[in-house]
Amino acid sequence: MSQRFRLPAGGHVDRSRRLAFTFDGRRFEGHEGDTLAAALLANGVRLVGRSFKYHRPRGIFSAGVEEPNALVELRDGTRREPNTRATVVELFDGLAATSQNHRGSLAFDWMAVNGVLAPWIGAGFYYKTFMWPAAFWERVYEPMIRKAAGLGRASGQPDPDWYEAAHAHCDVLVVGAGAAGLAAARAAGATGARVILAEQDFLFGGDLLNEPELEPWRGEAIAALQAMPEVTLLPRTTVFGFYDQGVLGAVERVADHLPQPPTHTPRQRYWTIRAKEVVLATGAHERLIAFPGNDRPGVMLAGAARTYARRFGVKAGETAVLFATHDAAYDAAFALAEAGTRIAAIIDPRADSAAMQRARQAGFTVQAGSVVTGTVGGNALRGVETGVAGSGGRANAVAADLLLVSGGWNPAVHLASMSGAALAWDEALLAFVPAAAVQRERSAGACRGVHGIGAAAADGAAAGRAAAIAAGFAPAADVLPPDTPAPDHRPYELWEVKGRGKAFVDIQDDVTADDIRLAHREGFSHIEHAKRYTTHAMGTDQGKTGGLVGAAVLAEARREPVAKVGLPRFRPYTSPVTWGAIAGGEVGQHFQPVRRTALHGVHEALGAVWMDAGLWKRPAYYANPGDADAWASVLREARAVRERVGVCDVSTLGKIVVEGPDAATFLDRVYANTFSTLQVGRARYGLMLREDGLVFDDGTTTRLAPDRFFVTTTTAQAGPVMQHLEFHHASAWPDLDVSLASVTDQWAAMSIAGPKARDVVAAVVQGIDLSNAAFPFMAVADCMAAGVPARVFRISFSGELAYEVAVPAGYAATVWQAVMTAGVPHGIEPYGVEALGLLRIEKGHVAGAEINGQTTAQDLGLGRMLKKKGDFIGRTLAQRPGLTDPARPRLVGLRSVDPARQIRAGSHLLVDGRSQGWITSVTQSVVDPGWIGLGMLREGEARIGSSIIAANPLMGEEVPVKVVSPHGYDAENLRVRA
Amino acid sequence: MSAPEPVHPLAAVARGRHGAAGAAPLRVALPAREIVQVMLRRGQDAAFAAAMRAALGMDPPGPGQAVSGSAVTAIWTQPGHWLLTAARRNEGALAARAAEAFAGMAAVADQSHGRTTIVLSGSAAREALSRGCRLDLHPRAFGQGRAAHTPIAQIGCLVHQTDDAPTFELTVFSTLAEPFLHWLLEAGAAYGVEIA
Repeated sequence: MSQRFRLPAGGHVDRSRRLAFTFDGRRFEGHEGDTLAAALLANGVRLVGRSFKYHRPRGIFSAGVEEPNALVELRDGTRREPNTRATVVELFDGLAATSQNHRGSLAFDWMAVNGVLAPWIGAGFYYKTFMWPAAFWERVYEPMIRKAAGLGRASGQPDPDWYEAAHAHCDVLVVGAGAAGLAAARAAGATGARVILAEQDFLFGGDLLNEPELEPWRGEAIAALQAMPEVTLLPRTTVFGFYDQGVLGAVERVADHLPQPPTHTPRQRYWTIRAKEVVLATGAHERLIAFPGNDRPGVMLAGAARTYARRFGVKAGETAVLFATHDAAYDAAFALAEAGTRIAAIIDPRADSAAMQRARQAGFTVQAGSVVTGTVGGNALRGVETGVAGSGGRANAVAADLLLVSGGWNPAVHLASMSGAALAWDEALLAFVPAAAVQRERSAGACRGVHGIGAAAADGAAAGRAAAIAAGFAPAADVLPPDTPAPDHRPYELWEVKGRGKAFVDIQDDVTADDIRLAHREGFSHIEHAKRYTTHAMGTDQGKTGGLVGAAVLAEARREPVAKVGLPRFRPYTSPVTWGAIAGGEVGQHFQPVRRTALHGVHEALGAVWMDAGLWKRPAYYANPGDADAWASVLREARAVRERVGVCDVSTLGKIVVEGPDAATFLDRVYANTFSTLQVGRARYGLMLREDGLVFDDGTTTRLAPDRFFVTTTTAQAGPVMQHLEFHHASAWPDLDVSLASVTDQWAAMSIAGPKARDVVAAVVQGIDLSNAAFPFMAVADCMAAGVPARVFRISFSGELAYEVAVPAGYAATVWQAVMTAGVPHGIEPYGVEALGLLRIEKGHVAGAEINGQTTAQDLGLGRMLKKKGDFIGRTLAQRPGLTDPARPRLVGLRSVDPARQIRAGSHLLVDGRSQGWITSVTQSVVDPGWIGLGMLREGEARIGSSIIAANPLMGEEVPVKVVSPHGYDAENLRVRA
Repeated sequence: MSAPEPVHPLAAVARGRHGAAGAAPLRVALPAREIVQVMLRRGQDAAFAAAMRAALGMDPPGPGQAVSGSAVTAIWTQPGHWLLTAARRNEGALAARAAEAFAGMAAVADQSHGRTTIVLSGSAAREALSRGCRLDLHPRAFGQGRAAHTPIAQIGCLVHQTDDAPTFELTVFSTLAEPFLHWLLEAGAAYGVEIA
């Protein structure tokens, strides 16, 4: 059986190019230019899937993005992609597709028993049935539903392909390259405007592809566009969303039509398009009619069958019945008759029309005033039952393997609606069309109800020209539309043929007209509620063929006009977009940029184990070969600092130069303590509050000159502090003459800490007397270090004698090496963030775990830092009763009573079984071995010396801890001043 | 003792061809630059402009503009802020020169180590940049002597077009230069990228 439904000639397929593919393991052949659906039909495959809920057999229903049924798993292995629409999948050699959503074979699906159960599993079934017992939901019901429902299966493996984002700008974006879109792009392009023409299909032309005699017009239009240097043509590109300010999103399927993407080629490209003007030429989707059995394989939209015949040279059936409510649909009968399909009957509820007369003259049997009342067959259509319109009874049966349906056309108003435009009811077309534009957009052609190729092209040309003029370009020569007759698309109002059996309004989601009425009876009468209650107009097709039919059924139940009921709100995406495209390149290691200090390579060579600190990579610790485990490394490093000397990369701290005549005034206002009194060449610890009075950040700030300060921030708050300072400078005190420069990246910094720090630093720096008298605690001076300009700060976070040496980042490795060399006689060790944390917890310094956005200066034992005179950010709100309440938890030190018993950050601190606080930070002490920590505890100071419980219910632990002063280590600060 | 040469933040990146082996690759250069941030003092606009004319032979460029003198380029970055850039000579030389010339008129911060400039050139440069840069770089919208700040691949970047090849100078925080360059190599992979 080789393409026995393929016509010998005609259409846009290249019969000389044979493409092999498989469907459910069976081998077939198609041609270049086919979609998978066209190739399946060419080979006589009628049954392509099973429905979502009832597992009913389904066939190809459409020839485009509106397809409800023909969803397949495409490709296999890591590239397996579920729910791809066979009607838009471009055939390639070696394509492998699998039908989905059935147990057993496609032809005999065990889950079809759901169809028998249908009276009990209508809309809202889940909500009603799976309510009780509540405990069953997670363990029984949900897994069961998940197994039974859903559609295809994802590969579950990493995607081997890559995706990229891209930005585009244009004067005029034209969405859709049918007659209207081609004309619009040509008219706009002729003015010299920058034009992007995006078309979701792989061929430009839309309905022109079904009109062989208009091929010269199509070809000429494309050639003209290709010759315009400022026109960009984007085939295989779906514009899926229209956002504010002329921003539209689109996905270009760069390599979906290939077995796999070529090297250096993404699978898909996610475009963000910024357009001055937009022309929407998105066409229309043909509308189904709800009648019993309207989902049987062999029932197909009339226009789709016409497309298969004319564009793909494929006969969708041997004997067809057309069920139509308007004249334009009759062209499908003529197209199929030309293709050799026997037209058994034309069923039309109308009494008479021009098309009916033409059909009769052509020899077709036309049953005026009749409707289709049912379909006959199993996995394939065998016959059509008809009756007199409005009678409700069955009158006749016609044998057929193809039933063509057209209940009118739904303009594709999705993007216009997303742009903010209201929708207006067109009484003649029985459809919603875009009302007045809100953004700079205009619709042209069938998407605003202008049907017929000639009329649509004229409409498109006018829209394209108007858009270019609105974008500031001078009018150019007219685009001549093709001279074609305009078929009459005004339908007779027939949404549903009532009768026994399921009449679907949403074929994909198995929603029947009865389900819509049920929703109304149960109070879900708003279209949005009915949608969610029934799943109407959801899924990959979003109700493109039947959405309005469901609304009309609801309108009838509500006894209101459809115009009043409306459609559910259109939201992105107009068509499914893969997660891969949305994520783009920002996956894996590119999820966020990795920020490295100038000493990164040095740490790597030293065996650093990395820790993420925001975007930064910082050494957590350095794993020496002799270390038994991570704790051994951390304790070794911390011990080196306490006993000898260590060196730590502190380049990640935020650094801001604040300069200007008003610099000191500015800092007095942003800091809770005073900086105007600071001497040049000295540093001071500073505390910043947020506007709400809670602590924002801390750090040391140095006065480099009377009008120049060097502010440091914590690593985590470097960005936020810079924003905070810039915001207040710009908004609160623009009168202050001060400038801010972030120099975080300019300077690398290393802290040399420990009793031997002075010896090491002295050996590295030149031009500075490091003696206690000349360079006391908190002194700062510029000097040379290892032959490069440097700045030395005598500041300490560890509680030891310490110096921070800052150098321009390009010299960091040189100076680090000099420090390490000078430190060899003193047993220097590099230490990482874990040891840094250990040392500061032991010393009782607060960090991010304590300055967590919930604590006040008083809570942290820093209340005395708040200046008494002068205003500063946070001062007023820090005085709120809730923040000054003496009962608030206060910072305390904690020590596990049994030194070997671990305590954990996050544990509750229980006093008499009641939580009175929590642990913020824990570590192991090196000066007094055992587990220690910091925490926030109510009546903290009063409880110093008492034993309480650190409870961690998650770990099932209750550990006795002793409350101690947070400043247990060298409380007099003798070591830092040594 | 002469000062050692600083290590370029992208010293570890492999030179040569990355990506496709096309005949017209994008070209990337990683010049050693001195970069100085200049911030105008209140009310010193005229004096500063005169000082810049005297010291560098050019007027401070206006919003979105950059201007090049014989050795120094000035790029407007925000109201009252400019970056001065020049080929690297001695450590701190440009900063010292600027501090002297603009004393009392502008604050000067040396950013020679803190900012890294990646020079991208080639006929496909605009297309490659469009993979992450949302600025409109079309000749009608941008061009030689234009500059703007924008996030690219989540990294703040100063984009400065220096000629119509086109050549773009992309200046980023030095500690983010490596992920930025890796993004650029991927964005340009289809055309090939030659790092000099």
